[in-house]
Amino acid sequence: MENDIKLKLSFNIALVSGIFCVTVALLLLLNFMQMSKSKPLESKALTSLVNRLAQEPNSNELKQEIRDFDLLARKAYFNARWQVKTGGYLLLFGAIILALSLRVFTDLRSRIEEPVIKDDNEFFSRMMAQRWVLITGSALILLGLGASLASVDHLKRYSVDESMANLKTNDNQDKIEIIQVGPNPANVDTVKINVAKTGTNLQLSAPSKATTVRAIKVAFPGLNEIKANVPSFRGPLGNGVFFQKGTPVSWDAASGKNVIWKTPVSKKGYNSPVIWGDKLFLSGGDNKTREVSCYDRNNGKVLWKQPVDKIQGSPTAAPKVSEDTGFSASSLVTDGNKVYAIFATGDIICFDMEGNRIWARNLGVPDNHYGHASSLIMWKDKIFVQYDTNKSRKLMALKASSGQQVWETVRKGKISWASPILADINGKFQVVLSTDPMVAGYDTESGKELWSVDCMSGEVGPSPAFGSGLVFAANEYAKLVAIDPAKNAKVWESDEYMPEVASPVTANGLLFIATSYGVLACYDAKSGEKYWVKEDATGFYSSPVIVDNKLYTFNTAGKMKVFEVAKKEKILGEGNAAEKVTTTPVFKEGRMYLRTPNFIYCIGKK
Amino acid sequence: MNKWIRISLIFTLLLYSLAGMSQKQRFPKPEFGTGYHQPTPVTPEPRALALEYTDVFVLLIVLSLASWIAIRRRSRKEMLWLSVFTLIYFGFYRDGCICAIGSIQNVALTIFEPGYAISITTLLFFLLPLGFTLYFGRTFCAGACPLGAIQDLLIVKPLSIPEWLRKTLGLLPYLYLTLAVLFAATGTDFIICRYDPFVGIFRMDAAFHMVVLGIAFLLMGMFVARPYCRFLCPYGVILNWMSRFSKWHLAITPAACIQCRLCSDSCPFDAIDFPTGEKEAKKRVWGVNRFLVYLLLIPAWILIGGFAGSKAHTWISKANSKVYLAELLITKPEVRNDEKNLDVQAFLSSGKSMEILVNEAKEIRRKFYLGSWIAGGFMGLVIGMTLLNQVIFRRKEDYQPNKGNCYSCARCISYCPVRN
Repeated sequence: MENDIKLKLSFNIALVSGIFCVTVALLLLLNFMQMSKSKPLESKALTSLVNRLAQEPNSNELKQEIRDFDLLARKAYFNARWQVKTGGYLLLFGAIILALSLRVFTDLRSRIEEPVIKDDNEFFSRMMAQRWVLITGSALILLGLGASLASVDHLKRYSVDESMANLKTNDNQDKIEIIQVGPNPANVDTVKINVAKTGTNLQLSAPSKATTVRAIKVAFPGLNEIKANVPSFRGPLGNGVFFQKGTPVSWDAASGKNVIWKTPVSKKGYNSPVIWGDKLFLSGGDNKTREVSCYDRNNGKVLWKQPVDKIQGSPTAAPKVSEDTGFSASSLVTDGNKVYAIFATGDIICFDMEGNRIWARNLGVPDNHYGHASSLIMWKDKIFVQYDTNKSRKLMALKASSGQQVWETVRKGKISWASPILADINGKFQVVLSTDPMVAGYDTESGKELWSVDCMSGEVGPSPAFGSGLVFAANEYAKLVAIDPAKNAKVWESDEYMPEVASPVTANGLLFIATSYGVLACYDAKSGEKYWVKEDATGFYSSPVIVDNKLYTFNTAGKMKVFEVAKKEKILGEGNAAEKVTTTPVFKEGRMYLRTPNFIYCIGKK
Repeated sequence: MNKWIRISLIFTLLLYSLAGMSQKQRFPKPEFGTGYHQPTPVTPEPRALALEYTDVFVLLIVLSLASWIAIRRRSRKEMLWLSVFTLIYFGFYRDGCICAIGSIQNVALTIFEPGYAISITTLLFFLLPLGFTLYFGRTFCAGACPLGAIQDLLIVKPLSIPEWLRKTLGLLPYLYLTLAVLFAATGTDFIICRYDPFVGIFRMDAAFHMVVLGIAFLLMGMFVARPYCRFLCPYGVILNWMSRFSKWHLAITPAACIQCRLCSDSCPFDAIDFPTGEKEAKKRVWGVNRFLVYLLLIPAWILIGGFAGSKAHTWISKANSKVYLAELLITKPEVRNDEKNLDVQAFLSSGKSMEILVNEAKEIRRKFYLGSWIAGGFMGLVIGMTLLNQVIFRRKEDYQPNKGNCYSCARCISYCPVRN
């Protein structure tokens, strides 16, 4: 072949391959940019279908539709990836052809030339080299120093406390050995915790232990001890019924009538007191600080007050909460060995009865437009947290000893501000929750949903109540419902009087409802027959409670009225806190304890 | 024509590898239960030991041949075909791994991590090229390195790089070597392998940006010969040191240089030293004064470099996955709820406590602190020595290869009219 023809051929090949490379590169770039922006599994259509599935979990058609859409989206995505990848290799191939043809072209064009006489100024060249090496060296040093200013050693921020005990899973910690076995033989039990149980909605925190079944010897307060104290919001089991005698029916804050003591509270909070033995616990807080306080319930003396701080993951900027919820709306829970508190920041903390911090952790800052308000409750060695946010709804069980998550059940439905209660159903205690759209019971050991009845709607604030074998739940603009959990069915329902905040309470076959517009209504618990209605000018936020066959009510103006738990309305006494009351009173050994915005009152017969 | 058949053969091999590429795409795990069971991952069998020794044997043969061709045969054409073989065997057939360049990290890790034992084959891949370089110059670069071969074959019209720029860019391989050793010694990463621009091409499977990077290097290499070898290769730093002391190095002329200057423009890597000009020789007094200043400043460079390195250790150590994870969990604890964050979920399901993780991260950061002092000090020394070298004038009478920088590719030999 003639040299000129070779030259021409190689030039043409180089030209064609060059154009090919530029074209492929441009197409690749476009495709890559398009693919980078595309997130097929986050498309609006798919998200919409998945959300619909949450509403209709049993719809096989919807599932198939999602699968088809999902497959289509994935195919499109991977097809685009394949195009990019293949295009990349086409580009490489073209580049090699281009390089070789160019090389051949330049080789063919090369001629024997006169040797180049190098007249470089080596001195100048070395001067330049020194200058640029100095500049580069200095730049590297400045980069190193600059990096130290731009980076923060977050590891130093980590303080070794028990806040991370939630992540500990060593065996020593799992074998909980507690303490103070009570006189009641029922206090000691052997509980088999089957961590392996999984359900559709059940998630385990430690899959690596998913097959572990171990017997753990634990000690916990028996039912008698629980009934003798005020371990949680609305008393034993969170049911609004106190097992006490000789409680006062009249008092007056202004005159001091039957006021045994009153103590100012240092931090604002809408939680109600919890009591174990002689110790009364409260929490309070604002957007800057939070604290847990312990009082001697005999004299109101502050026994200890501990800050809630230095918790890993606690937000530096407090989340937004509404004024009437605050940062400390959730009541504490105690088992007589320790006391546990949760705040709107998502912080949960544990102190022993002497105020020593045992553990603390952050559950993730809740996205809650009013602020987290669900109170804690516990059974045996677990604390139950109804951790509802706008993003997710879940019931969590944490180990009382360490805060470590035992199980977590993701629930359907919407955010709720109600608190969980414990109910003895078919001889076994369950955690019962009320939320939109359902009232449901969960196994305390595994978190598995045992029954569920769709009957609620709206922003649910009132907690459920349990009595006469029935679960009662109500919410404003929804319904008052009596549910038989054994049959998983509604027994009766009413839409006449419904509470907004105050929870229903039941005893002796009667059910009481206190509404935010001032109506107190009494129903037959089993049939739903209405016995009497008492209207008040001021509404109720404080939940009515029953003690010693007496129904205690506080309206938001702080006026107390005590009724006989009977089919006919009978007022037994009255009281006046002389300030706003939104919390729920508690009772212990003939005395009533009430938190107002500014004080804690101890009311009893003088 | 014979040449074209060989080139076609290479492209056929390339296309064959392309065909297998599409089969490697995997479909992600389905999102919810369909009865599909994700198969249990199976760890692939390690390469048979016999085959590993075969690799070492092939390397030994290639190194011997490259040295023989450079020193005795003095043939550019033979060296070219040897590098083609290297490209096919160590590049496309062995997927660019094992390679002497990456073995630096294995050696560093085995020195600093008692729990890690380097394999004998990896050690040999590290040592053999160094041994050959000590005797025959950088013949490894000429004929036995697949990374060098792929760049060398695509040189089209090499441009000469000014010395000041070469010296400045020449700091980069030292920096890369320093970081590679630091990251390997702390068990953080093997960055040489991770950011190898050509391994994706060899394997026909790489992240898009790595393919682009590889192609960019090749395109640049058409005009700036062997850009990776000259301005990035960390192994080249050690080879450069060794080659300066090589006993038998390639020479441009087999006899006395007749100073015809025909070879002066033959080296695409600017690795031929010219005879010292008279003007430069006269400026030696200036050089001595500055030599003393630079010599005295070397300890200062080491100290400042070490200090700057130590200050940067917090930032550098964030590249470590454990440090990163610990800091992420401390600063953003809500990521625990992010089911898409596989690192976090893997940690949570591991059963390891946060305290242990933080303590491990602190220990790694402590290692980085010490390592960054040494690394920074070393870079300070390199800068100081580079400056010092710029004021040392060595009288050269002939056109001769720079023993440190010359790749022994034998291009210059064919330009020399002296045959005996």
